[in-house]
Amino acid sequence: MAPIGVDEWVARSGDRREESRWRALLTRVDERVGWWPRLGILALVGFIYGHLGLNVNEQDVAFNAVLYAILALGLNIVVGWAGLLDLGYIAFFGLGAYGYALFSSHAFGSLVLDTGGVHLPAVATIPIVLVAAGIVGVAVGLVALRLSGDYLAIVTLFLGQAFAEVVNNVDPSVLGGSNGLFALDRFHSFGGQITSTLGYYYVAVIVLIVLMAALHMLDRSRTGRAWRAVRDDPLAAQVMTIPVNAVKVMAFSFGAIVAALAGTIFAAQQDSVFATNFSANVLILIYACLVLGGAGGIAGAVLGGIVVTVAQDLLTSPLDSAYLFYGLILIVLFARVRPWRYLAAVIPAIVGLGFAAHAIVGAISHTAVAGSPGSVGWIGSALRHYVIVPANSLTYGNILYVVMIVALIAVVQLKGVRRLIAVVPTVYIAICCWEARLTVDPGITAQIMIGAILIVIMGARPQGLLGTRRVEIV
Amino acid sequence: MKVRRLFIGALGVMALASVTVFGASSSAASAGSSAKAAKAACKGSIAIEAPFATGPAIPQGLEQLHFAELAVAMFNKANGTSFTLGQDDTGLNPALATTRTNAIIASKALAVVGPSGSQEVEAVGPLLAAAGMAAVSPSATLPALTTSGANKTFFRVVPDDNVQGPDDAHYIIKHKLAPAGSTILIIDDQEAYSQGITAVMIPILQAAGFTVNHQSYNGADTGATLNSDMSSLVTSQVTATTKVIILPWQSGGNAELFAQTLAQQGKTATLFGTDGTNSPSQFVAPGTYVSAFGPDISTNKSALDKSLVKGVAKYGPYGPFGVPTWEATTIVLDAIDSVCKAGKTPSRANVLAAVRKTNIPASQSDLGLPVKFAPNGNLAGSPGFLFHINAKGKYVEIPDK
Amino acid sequence: MQIFIQTLVSGIVTGCLYALIALGYSMVYGVLKLLNFAHGDLYMIGAFVGYFSIQWFGGAAALVIPVPLLVIFMFLVAGLGVGALGVAIERFAYRPLRNAPRIAPLITALGISFILEDSVLLLFGGFQRSYDTPAFIPFTQAIHIDGVNIDSVQIMVVVVSVAMMYGLTQLVNRTLFGKSMRAVASDREAAEMLGINVDRTIALTFFIGSAMAGVAGVMAGLANEQITNIIGFLAGLKAFTAAVVGGIGSIPGAMIGGLVIGLCEAFSSSYVSSQYSDLIVFAILIATMLIRPQGVFGQPPLQKV
Repeated sequence: MAPIGVDEWVARSGDRREESRWRALLTRVDERVGWWPRLGILALVGFIYGHLGLNVNEQDVAFNAVLYAILALGLNIVVGWAGLLDLGYIAFFGLGAYGYALFSSHAFGSLVLDTGGVHLPAVATIPIVLVAAGIVGVAVGLVALRLSGDYLAIVTLFLGQAFAEVVNNVDPSVLGGSNGLFALDRFHSFGGQITSTLGYYYVAVIVLIVLMAALHMLDRSRTGRAWRAVRDDPLAAQVMTIPVNAVKVMAFSFGAIVAALAGTIFAAQQDSVFATNFSANVLILIYACLVLGGAGGIAGAVLGGIVVTVAQDLLTSPLDSAYLFYGLILIVLFARVRPWRYLAAVIPAIVGLGFAAHAIVGAISHTAVAGSPGSVGWIGSALRHYVIVPANSLTYGNILYVVMIVALIAVVQLKGVRRLIAVVPTVYIAICCWEARLTVDPGITAQIMIGAILIVIMGARPQGLLGTRRVEIV
Repeated sequence: MKVRRLFIGALGVMALASVTVFGASSSAASAGSSAKAAKAACKGSIAIEAPFATGPAIPQGLEQLHFAELAVAMFNKANGTSFTLGQDDTGLNPALATTRTNAIIASKALAVVGPSGSQEVEAVGPLLAAAGMAAVSPSATLPALTTSGANKTFFRVVPDDNVQGPDDAHYIIKHKLAPAGSTILIIDDQEAYSQGITAVMIPILQAAGFTVNHQSYNGADTGATLNSDMSSLVTSQVTATTKVIILPWQSGGNAELFAQTLAQQGKTATLFGTDGTNSPSQFVAPGTYVSAFGPDISTNKSALDKSLVKGVAKYGPYGPFGVPTWEATTIVLDAIDSVCKAGKTPSRANVLAAVRKTNIPASQSDLGLPVKFAPNGNLAGSPGFLFHINAKGKYVEIPDK
Repeated sequence: MQIFIQTLVSGIVTGCLYALIALGYSMVYGVLKLLNFAHGDLYMIGAFVGYFSIQWFGGAAALVIPVPLLVIFMFLVAGLGVGALGVAIERFAYRPLRNAPRIAPLITALGISFILEDSVLLLFGGFQRSYDTPAFIPFTQAIHIDGVNIDSVQIMVVVVSVAMMYGLTQLVNRTLFGKSMRAVASDREAAEMLGINVDRTIALTFFIGSAMAGVAGVMAGLANEQITNIIGFLAGLKAFTAAVVGGIGSIPGAMIGGLVIGLCEAFSSSYVSSQYSDLIVFAILIATMLIRPQGVFGQPPLQKV
């Protein structure tokens, strides 16, 4: 049973007395280094990373990682701190982006003729957009007062969908319709313009650091404590004279402002905004960032944003995707097969089974192993005599995929030695399926892997990577 | 516990580092491979940007992907080359397209097939122009893409919306598909392609004296919501005076559903679908007119078309997006191959120059006419075909347009 | 008047489908307090199972068995198959998270949704498939009153839905299983202490909810004809709304909610504008939620101190 409340430190004090020297050293360093020095180190890492001579793709991924970290931070205020399930968060992101676009393009002039419009410098546009977002956040918060939990979720979900619909369908000469607004002005002020992704990366890093500092101070303040109180037990909070309604509205408002800020940076970097940039897919991604990282903590939200973005990028490249797949298998085996002697039996069994199966099937029928593994590079060559891949592998791959899913479900159902025995052929089937079928359509495989990663991480660590276990009183 | 947190923090840093390392290794590889491009077998890689894994247009994107893969396989087999196709899903999301395009620019790809969506071209056209990479799109039909001057390396193998809209409208007027003074219902699906064609057709039809009823529905709807949309459109908008209904959609399946809803409610009208609805296996309502940019390859007797049909048979029915993608891919591969044959190492610059000089005779193109590009990237000459669906559901080409 | 009746029919049919999916949502929420976002994808799998059943028996144009037999076969296979899949998902993904904060199973459900949708894409390809219902259930077998057409598929959908909803209500109110389900929904620990096998009750709840979604999928295929791998997402969203508007956790609420949403959608598309019909439905729902925050049949949330 999970402990009531949050006090892992006490609960683990017994373990700590028996820690090895290295672990003890690391723990001591971790406890002594305060929050602000850590923030400084993060800022340093952020700036140094930008100077590493990255190519365009890496710059893009780095920018996206920081952007999603900012978005996850904003969502953390609403979901992690105040405990309000806001499924319309993406609308605030879009509001910020479109707000910036309206003031930096021909939108107020004539989109058809490409003239006119309001072109304010960024230092003027951003405050206007943030204030507007804050007001909308207050409005949504007022709606939220009447609703609780899952009812709030549905209303905010629809507000989010409504935003994308309205923006797409309103007269194209006003908001650009499905063609969006493009050729926006970049951030410009004091005579300079930021036009490269690297420039926006630095802007985003600065914003992230400032935001983390501000949120840390907010977290430690009365407002932060009020949010946590409202999340854990609104009635008790109300009894203790916390203005619950005001606190909830403030949470929405702050979340909206952070999202809108991210939206302006996004719009300026993309140089365009489209309605499809703010679909439900993006919302799911932001939620995945927050929950995987650990809702309720600043470090968790930032780490989640970085990890999910990097993982997404890795998954789209076939070689990196293979690393991730095999890495995931190894991690799961190492983490779940205990004690070590069992692991020492399972891994050679998997390897042996593979080579044996390939040899036997190859001896029986040559066409059954005529195909080559789908992975490129050294993995493919290493697995040449290991996996069974026929020449026309589409149907075979499909059947193997279904068998793999059934085998996975069966492995979870079994216990003890039978589970260990079942793991061996399951892993081999998974590897064959990957090489035969999943490498053929890397785009679809990337989506399946994202789903699998979400399930595995949530199953293994429901509180997220850096979260703390808590028990909800329902 | 804290140690575990540290460990996980270190994982995050390692993740960032791994992206740098892998990215660096791939860019290092790019410098290496172009230097040792073999003279014996022409090698290279191209990338396709289409929405085949996420987003609202997966069927269309997958069709484009399959036809592109077929084109690469056919070209490699016929010419002894070894080209590879990299797959980049854009999900019709311009931000994702930007990320994928940056990845392509950082890789060793020589040219791009796509992007498929006009919005995506708006977002990434300037990036590709700055990188000097040719991008040949099979389906981005927004007219502004080639007139704005921002997409200098963008080409397309289909005419833009400003060509098809007036052509179809003039056909309706000229051949009196509807009696004078009646109502023409035109329904758009809230996508850029649809809205563009609608905007062009309405003034022409109104000038000819028809009353135009302009409706729209959400093209991304599926299942029960889609059925509900079709049902209410037919119930409330198809009146006794509506004689012609124009469907500038991008899904033959949806058009067929509309036709069946009409029949189910006992109403009749002549349907006119634009090229996006052209799908001989899915949209088969008798009496319908469907315009297209190429002949129907399933009925064409040429060897090329037969091999195309055979090659994609295992993927199921196809619509109008596959054939232009095949064409675009072949154009790009032809360009690379011509550079190789001239004895030079393929690079983005000389491939781009070769694409500009594309000149494929009609017999080798499945569009039914020679393929050349105008200086701004548009297809020179605008192919237009019109089909009439006969009582048995077969597409019959109408020679006069 | 004719438009009104036609729209009414269309709205009721759509509403029945949403109600069936919403019932599954509500049941699962009741026992687990979990918003199962993958529920819509189970509906999609049911539709695919039905499609492949038709193909197995010769295809829409050349069926080798009589139509009523085919329909019964489709219902059975979809119901049992999707039900089993739902139980497997529960065992595999949700059981480890029984005691976790509620946002964790939400993410797991999203992960399952990705896997279901993209597995179908991987295995079966992405092109739009059509049941092509008029080929084996011709439109001529319909009721024509005064210019309004109601075809046999629509009648079947309504009849089967009502029968299933009635059956479910009887199951919940009259049987022992129904009682244990209500007990687990009310207080899981107390139910366990009273000797109710909570694991089995939850598994059976998932089975029934998923089976209903599967059958709804088959009927949706027959009525709407077009199936792709993403029909589940939108339908799930609408059904979730229906469940919430009716009062989540309440079975009559889910039914009423589904009908309300279906009718709203049909009427706003017909009478106002199909362009903004989604927005109008949202506006109506938000207004309903503001007037009665716990939904039509829901209970006001108990505040435990």
